[in-house]
Amino acid sequence: MKLPSIGIKRFLQVSSALIILGLLVEIVSLLWFHPLSFVLFAFVGAILIGLGIVVYLASLVFAVSAPAENRGQSVRGGPSPG
Amino acid sequence: MTGPTGILVALISLTIVLAAVFLFHSSITAGTTGKILAFVALCILPALCIDAGMSTHMQRSEQTRFCISCHSMENYGKSLYLDDPKYIPAQHFQNHRVPPQMACYTCHTDYTIYGPMKDKLKGITRIYLQYVSKPPYPITIPGGFKNAQCLHCHEGARAFEENPVHAAIMSSLTTNQLSCISSGCHDSVHDASNVDHLKMWRPGQ
Repeated sequence: MKLPSIGIKRFLQVSSALIILGLLVEIVSLLWFHPLSFVLFAFVGAILIGLGIVVYLASLVFAVSAPAENRGQSVRGGPSPG
Repeated sequence: MTGPTGILVALISLTIVLAAVFLFHSSITAGTTGKILAFVALCILPALCIDAGMSTHMQRSEQTRFCISCHSMENYGKSLYLDDPKYIPAQHFQNHRVPPQMACYTCHTDYTIYGPMKDKLKGITRIYLQYVSKPPYPITIPGGFKNAQCLHCHEGARAFEENPVHAAIMSSLTTNQLSCISSGCHDSVHDASNVDHLKMWRPGQ
């Protein structure tokens, strides 16, 4: 499956779901006073949030690349100059 | 919950609410305001939450109660309450020669620019030993206890420098050739294995 075919809406949903999950893990890690709470934050929470940000940034890239593809097609399909 | 942690939890809650908007109504990004809001909610605020969370966790790991919350460190925590001034950590802790809330960190941190980060990495190794492998017994400091950790506070202090014993061996102390806690000097430290048989100081009694 090509990434652009997923759609911006789906990207945003996945991104926000990952971020919400990561932030909930971060809250748990802050309320839990134990050496493992740092591990929970660094290796689960921060990674989920980071992935969410990456997915959101990926959505920006594909949102820009889609019209460029269309422009390319319209140039190829348009009347030749002269 | 108050203080910086309370503010951080409020920031996280706000970010969750904003991110939830895009989970259920992602079509609002069609407009310019929606796009800006998405950038703030799904990029700026989450990045801020990671940064603030890391900072909070780093500061929290400097606290004495954090260090002794690990089972194998319990006796080391108890040893801070030994009722005998010859025990150096107890004497420092009880007389506030180190901040009591950060007693372990003050004497055991690496006072370099990346020291706290190195300590955190060492801490992760110890968590691995505690939960996956087996913690060493007795617990030892890799490379030994360095005099720099004592000299960080004592070097330049009048009572320390004017002491004739210290003055005679100062170069050996600064170059770590002779340990401050070596036999015959300040060699009574934690004594964690015997702590249950020794007299304890009970604050307020």
